[in-house]
Amino acid sequence: MSDVLLKIGKNNVARQMVKNLGLPVSLPQALKRAEGSWEERPLADLRVDAGHGPGSALAPVLARCLCAAGAYTHVAGTPEQFAFYTEHGHAWGRIAKEAKEDQAPEGCAPNALVFDATGMQSPADLVSMYRFFHARVRSLAACGRILVIGTTPSEIADVPASAAAQALEGFVRSVGKEIGKKGATANLVWVSPGAEDRLPPVVRFFLSRRPVFVSGQNLTLTTRVPAPENPSDVRPLDGKLALVTGAARGIGKETAKTLALEGAKVICMDRPGEEEPTALLAKEIQGTALSCDVTAPDAGEVIARHVKEHGGSLAVIIHNAGVTRDKMLVNMDEARWSSALQINLLSVLSLTDQLLPLMPKDGRIVCLSSIAGIAGNVGQTNYAASKAGIIGFVRALAPKAAEKGICVNAVAPGFIETQMTAAIPFTTREAGRRLSSLAQGGLPQDVAQVVCFLATPQASGVTGATLRICGQSLIGA
Amino acid sequence: MAAKTKKTESNGRRAVIVGGVRTPFIRAFGALMKMDSIALGTAAVKGLLERFPVPWNEIDSLVWGGTMLPGGIAVNAGREIVFDVGLPMSVESYTVTRACTTSILSTTLAVSAIERGDADVVIAGGSDSTSNVDVRLPATLVHKAAPTVMSAKSTPSDYLRLLGKLNVKKDLVPKRPSIRERTTGELMGESAEKMAERNEISREAQDAFAYQSHTRAAAAIASGRFAKEMIPVTTPDGVTIHTDNIVRGDTTIEKLAKLKPAFAQNGTLTAGNSSSFTDGGAALLLMEEQKARALGFEPLAAFRAWSYDAVDPWDQLLVGPAISMPRAAMKAGMTGDDIELWDIHEAFAAQVLSVVKMLGNDTFCRERLGLEKAFKKLAPEEINAHGGSVALGHPFAATGARLITTMANELKDTGKATALIGVCAGGALSSGLVMERV
Repeated sequence: MSDVLLKIGKNNVARQMVKNLGLPVSLPQALKRAEGSWEERPLADLRVDAGHGPGSALAPVLARCLCAAGAYTHVAGTPEQFAFYTEHGHAWGRIAKEAKEDQAPEGCAPNALVFDATGMQSPADLVSMYRFFHARVRSLAACGRILVIGTTPSEIADVPASAAAQALEGFVRSVGKEIGKKGATANLVWVSPGAEDRLPPVVRFFLSRRPVFVSGQNLTLTTRVPAPENPSDVRPLDGKLALVTGAARGIGKETAKTLALEGAKVICMDRPGEEEPTALLAKEIQGTALSCDVTAPDAGEVIARHVKEHGGSLAVIIHNAGVTRDKMLVNMDEARWSSALQINLLSVLSLTDQLLPLMPKDGRIVCLSSIAGIAGNVGQTNYAASKAGIIGFVRALAPKAAEKGICVNAVAPGFIETQMTAAIPFTTREAGRRLSSLAQGGLPQDVAQVVCFLATPQASGVTGATLRICGQSLIGA
Repeated sequence: MAAKTKKTESNGRRAVIVGGVRTPFIRAFGALMKMDSIALGTAAVKGLLERFPVPWNEIDSLVWGGTMLPGGIAVNAGREIVFDVGLPMSVESYTVTRACTTSILSTTLAVSAIERGDADVVIAGGSDSTSNVDVRLPATLVHKAAPTVMSAKSTPSDYLRLLGKLNVKKDLVPKRPSIRERTTGELMGESAEKMAERNEISREAQDAFAYQSHTRAAAAIASGRFAKEMIPVTTPDGVTIHTDNIVRGDTTIEKLAKLKPAFAQNGTLTAGNSSSFTDGGAALLLMEEQKARALGFEPLAAFRAWSYDAVDPWDQLLVGPAISMPRAAMKAGMTGDDIELWDIHEAFAAQVLSVVKMLGNDTFCRERLGLEKAFKKLAPEEINAHGGSVALGHPFAATGARLITTMANELKDTGKATALIGVCAGGALSSGLVMERV
């Protein structure tokens, strides 16, 4: 069933009426989503206010990244830091303007606020971040972005500095809740020492109109996996072979389409019985169809044979196939328990084991976890166990896979508008939708965009992580 | 007529320019209004052959260029010019289009054919008549009317029914032609206005450059420097046009400063510092070097290397020459310091100054070209010795051939060794061309 409030919210007159009548309804902001494949300049002509805290070191990286991505920058920082923006602003035709930390620049609303908090020596330095955002958060445009960049707390030996870096998380999560009604998101990136070069693709992606349903999250960038040389800003998956399990419908289908849009040749796999939608999808995206049950004893061999027929190198695996077998624990028979665990977790383990040797050195594995795996859910002991298991799986496999240059990550979708959620009773569904900062459900494409990003060579800084795509759901937060 | 049987392996052949001419460049809807692109091309080619009398049976091919061609479906203007000039029927011909770089393209195609051994003597060039852009019936009208009009079975009542369906505003008012980018929907000037802002090119700098263009072009006309590359044209009305009419030698910085912005309310681009809609044509005589000497011609210059490139139209539509010029030089094994003469097409003063700025920007050249430092730091006075399109006008498909002619003569006259040409074009295209003295 469609989201009525969101529809009303798109109508300006209705929006004004609801406001003037003082109705106790808050209308969610319709999210602006990018269409098509990655752009050379994802931030073309957007205004980005960049702030640099005391001692921060990322000005050269951010200046190049933002200007090359097409953004107009207003910069609060030292003259030396501003000089990097001047240099790159001139070269990319996006001349930077200087701004005061505690004063919003004149003119139009910024589309994104980026703050470099990497140099914080003590929590006292955080006041610089407060001033930057305090002055600007009111004018942030609808569907705007906040991105805070800090140093990974666990990598900082100095106690006050580590505390300051950790403080960023609380700040970002809270500001995300405050700006959610604008359709805006806030996220945090922790950069480990030496991983600065992994930051630009993450900034380009997180400020774009693709991760629209990711808010209040943090990502840690490390050097565990080597960075690719000269990855392409557009069509990053060109020529790569990708496997999507459970591709016939929903998030799997959307993911397969998104990967194909970025150039991947997608093996669309689904279980016997889904041959028709799988074949139609494969035809639509010029991929191949594979009818195979992930739990079949010979599934690994079947996939390996298929991969060998199509070049032999499997660059991307998306473990998407999953089922719910809901019952209260007291009523759940062992078959239900085993079935959910088998399909959602055990098959992921065994297939990964068998397919890893086929992966090239910049391979990427992305698993679908779920918010249920983080928060738990009534009647889903089996499902939640399997999805929590995925989180542990990617964390444990990441260091081993890193030796081969492969990243392993998971995403945990929250309330996504699919056939599955449409079947939930109205009140429960409405609660699921509204109990998040963005006060609406996400779309399958919102998940697909993030999965696709994690599948690109550019995502080399992220591994072992589980990223929530939940509009900053209050559940499990 | 040696072309078709030539061997095609590389054999040290070099193409040279023997001479080039252009018609006077006249503001659109002026004295050349009644001549379409083919008539202007015919005039240019006739003038070329009078100035450089090559035996007509030696001509292998005519490669023409146009961006606003008359007459509808896929007109091969080049072939029509062959007929209208009265050249031998055996002169093979085709027509190319690449926006404002069109006649750079027709020239390098001819050069390639000569150097590959496909031809010995080729006429290349281009012409455009902005005065003769087709004003089209709205497609909605055509689509609505066609079923009735094309059918033999239509009755008067069908026609009446058709009339009832027509919408005066949508279907009957012809669309005004304009040079809007199909993709971005922006007028060329709006894109250039954006470039002025993005690269901080001030109104003063643009006007100063426009002033330089006008005074230099006027001096080149007054001194007779342009006489060697301009041919008179007699119009269908019997009037003979001898010289350009857009150049204003008497303009001043003050006069230019008074003009109102043309593309944006608080913009910096004006009619004075932008090129105008222009009618004109230009033609070059290209030959294999030995052949030229055998026929008694003294070659002016040869073509060392070229580069065709494209950038993002939403970003900076006309910045391309800052990519193409260094790339062409790199292909020639040269650096910016090896170049002695610089000629950059002036679509807008703001666009030329943006290109000059980027050629001299270390970060741009490092990021976009892989160079260690800036290609060449140039002052605006160092380019376009005899002015450019801002003063002379810009018949799109003739401009490239005009630049090549002027540089070829300049290499000969000054004794300098190398010239680098840069041209920007709609669709965010560009080209760079390195010429060398023979």
